[in-house]
Amino acid sequence: MKKKLLTILLAGTMAVSALGTCMTASAASSGEIVIWTAEPLMSVTQTMAEEFLAENGYDYSVTVEAVGAGDAASNMITDVEGGADLYGFAQDQLSRLVAAGAVQPLTGTGYDTWIEEENGSGSVEAATFGSTLYAFPQSADNGYFLYYDSSVVTDPTSLETIIADCEAAGKNFYFEINNGWYQVAFFFGAGCTLTYETSDDGTFTSCDISYANEQGLVALKEMIELASSSSFQNGSSISSATNVGAIVDGTWDASEIQKLFGENYAAVKLPSFTGSDGEEYQLGGFSGYKLLGVKPQTDADKLKACLDLAQYLTGTEVQLAVYNEDGWGPSNLTAQEDEAVQADIALSALAEQSNYSMGQGQYPDDYWTLATSLGDDIISGNLTSSTSDEDLMAVLEDFEAQCSSYVQ
Amino acid sequence: MKKTAAFFQAMAASLREIGVTFREGDWKTKVSFVIFGFGPLMRKYYLRGIAFLALEILYIWYMISFGASYLAQFGTLGTVETHMDPETFVTVYGDNSFLILLWSLLSIFATIFLICLWRMNISENRREEVALKAGKEVPTVRQDLHKLIDGKFHYTLLSLPTLGIFVFTILPVIFMVCVAFTNYDFTHQAPTKLFSWVGLANFKSLLSFGGSGFGATFTKVLSWTVVWAFFATFINYFLGMALAMLINTKWIKFKKLWRTILVMTIAIPQFVSLLYVSKLFASDGLVNSYLLKWGVISQALPFWTNPLWAKVTIVILNCWVGIPYMMLISTGILMNIPADLYESAKIDGANTFQMFRKITLPYMLFVTGPYLLTTFTGNLNNFNIIYLLSGGGPTTMSMTGGAGTTDLLITWLYKMTVNDTNYCMAAVIGIMVFAVTAVISLVVYGMLPSVRDEEGFQ
Repeated sequence: MKKKLLTILLAGTMAVSALGTCMTASAASSGEIVIWTAEPLMSVTQTMAEEFLAENGYDYSVTVEAVGAGDAASNMITDVEGGADLYGFAQDQLSRLVAAGAVQPLTGTGYDTWIEEENGSGSVEAATFGSTLYAFPQSADNGYFLYYDSSVVTDPTSLETIIADCEAAGKNFYFEINNGWYQVAFFFGAGCTLTYETSDDGTFTSCDISYANEQGLVALKEMIELASSSSFQNGSSISSATNVGAIVDGTWDASEIQKLFGENYAAVKLPSFTGSDGEEYQLGGFSGYKLLGVKPQTDADKLKACLDLAQYLTGTEVQLAVYNEDGWGPSNLTAQEDEAVQADIALSALAEQSNYSMGQGQYPDDYWTLATSLGDDIISGNLTSSTSDEDLMAVLEDFEAQCSSYVQ
Repeated sequence: MKKTAAFFQAMAASLREIGVTFREGDWKTKVSFVIFGFGPLMRKYYLRGIAFLALEILYIWYMISFGASYLAQFGTLGTVETHMDPETFVTVYGDNSFLILLWSLLSIFATIFLICLWRMNISENRREEVALKAGKEVPTVRQDLHKLIDGKFHYTLLSLPTLGIFVFTILPVIFMVCVAFTNYDFTHQAPTKLFSWVGLANFKSLLSFGGSGFGATFTKVLSWTVVWAFFATFINYFLGMALAMLINTKWIKFKKLWRTILVMTIAIPQFVSLLYVSKLFASDGLVNSYLLKWGVISQALPFWTNPLWAKVTIVILNCWVGIPYMMLISTGILMNIPADLYESAKIDGANTFQMFRKITLPYMLFVTGPYLLTTFTGNLNNFNIIYLLSGGGPTTMSMTGGAGTTDLLITWLYKMTVNDTNYCMAAVIGIMVFAVTAVISLVVYGMLPSVRDEEGFQ
């Protein structure tokens, strides 16, 4: 027994002290900048970043890893110190990143004025939490609109016609109503509001919501009606969709949808619908942005290099290159004027829809979970056209109360 | 109770021996109480003495250079938050609550080992003194070491697994249990933010009903977990057995062919087939598309979108994964039942059902009782089936914490850690999973026929 204990103790203490030394060693900055970007952009990012660093006399190597805008924030939060130095993320993740202290504040660094000059005001707002600017706008295409097969859908401006046409053709109409991002199309379209005020320390200070009213009821009933159609499918990813007649989706799926629809490929703003009160409503939505965040750095030189690189990677030149590579709609004002960008079908539809969409501000993480629950309640038939108005109103009131409870 | 009493008696005896050693020991032994291995060194048992002393020095060095600084912060889990220098915008990392908790636990274990070492050091002194006084030989180090490959060979064999279990199982489990008493969630994320002890707040939240409390959701998830485990285990068990018996009957031809076909489902990796089947039954999947196309239905069947449908679909699809295993096991056991039992039953005029109820089933239950229990507890934590088929969905506004109507405790826990980064609540759920599994296992284990009556079928 004794000898065994001795062995364990000895091995244990040695392992512990060895770990201790390792950790201190790895804390020193290596001459490497790690960038997380979407898979199709890996090679263009790698070459352009390397060229930029070499031209400006920085002695850092570049490692590009494929981490999509959807996963980057989660990965950063789980391990800030091991995360990438620069990472692209969708703006709805900003609140989590700020709360976890995983993103470098930019206000006062000088880069903030550059960002404000070069980008549309919506994108600057998207990168701001409280009164602090946190990230470099990378693209202004995080919005959605309607893609449709012009041989199936006769009139893309009316939701009822789209549903009827798809039903008649036996095709599917995809609209991801159990996702808080797409769901607001109905609520905002009917005239409801939902916004949060944020403070500098990463918390939500107040919630402005008006869901539990006549407009909210119109929106909820319209979703229930949509979900009751045999052509309705809950989804927004073209790669897993089948038998598509029309889909509410964003620019990232444009090339794949174009391949699928071929000559009948068409994209327009979201349709309008006739509400339960007989009024005509135009579907609204979010116009959101992709942002490039910089990890908080412990080394001043590396911080400078990272910020310069982030600035370059979100500048006109790179945004255009990224558009050509993977069709990302630029947030950079100069890049937006480019001819090819102007002529893009999907981006034009997005621009058209943006007249009816609201700039996406900051939302607490819990909001997205709650919205999924509401959508699932509709799809699963917990809420149907036979549910009484009082019950529907109770659901909306519950929704409102829960949204307000996320304010700290 | 008996065991507790025995433990305290052993503790008292041990304390008494320490006292006796100190009282009756010479000055070398007394110094050994502070400086490990001093006695053996003075008595010229150098190797032993140096080993004790070296380990004590190692411990002290570890604590001073590393462990103590973390251990000192164990009570607060850190006070200096990571902050950015407003002039240079350079970030200065503060205390890392996560590492403080981890290294503190390790330091505590190191201290416990040191106490054990101290105790061993004392009995070593005692052993030497007693032996020397009686004029006997103290066993040499060589003899002691030789024992490790001879009489005490089991210690040698077990030392590596024990170390592995400690590092990879016990330490993480204790760490997780500690996390359940902190506020480690997405707003308290190490290394940039601090987290701290909150006592029983998380447990209170889990059991609080109404408002944003987890109580109602927890009860729903827990009851579905148990219901699921029950159906998943017993439907598979009886259908698998039935299938094995069916294939075993005389009038079935091509027995090997049927068995091979069924075993094919095992050959395909489960996660591949489950993902595929999940897509197959989606509202825009193959099954619905064809039923719609043929005009059998006018509206897609809500396999995954309606809570009840989803639950039933999961249980049925699980049969497809589980029955082949059960069939294989049953086939072997059924062949082992002595044929003379059936013959004598037939002579006594028993019909097939009576023979099944009185011979086959008791025998099967006797042999497969422990297997049933492990399958049941396995199903309580059957992450794969649920996560790959329905992903826990559909969710509903009447449940909090992101839980869906088909979520098991284990998939809910996964969602909490991965989607919500709510580690503290996830840890609480983890403890609950352990409690549920442990209680069910212990109670059922005691009731198993093969445990109560080991000789039942000999």
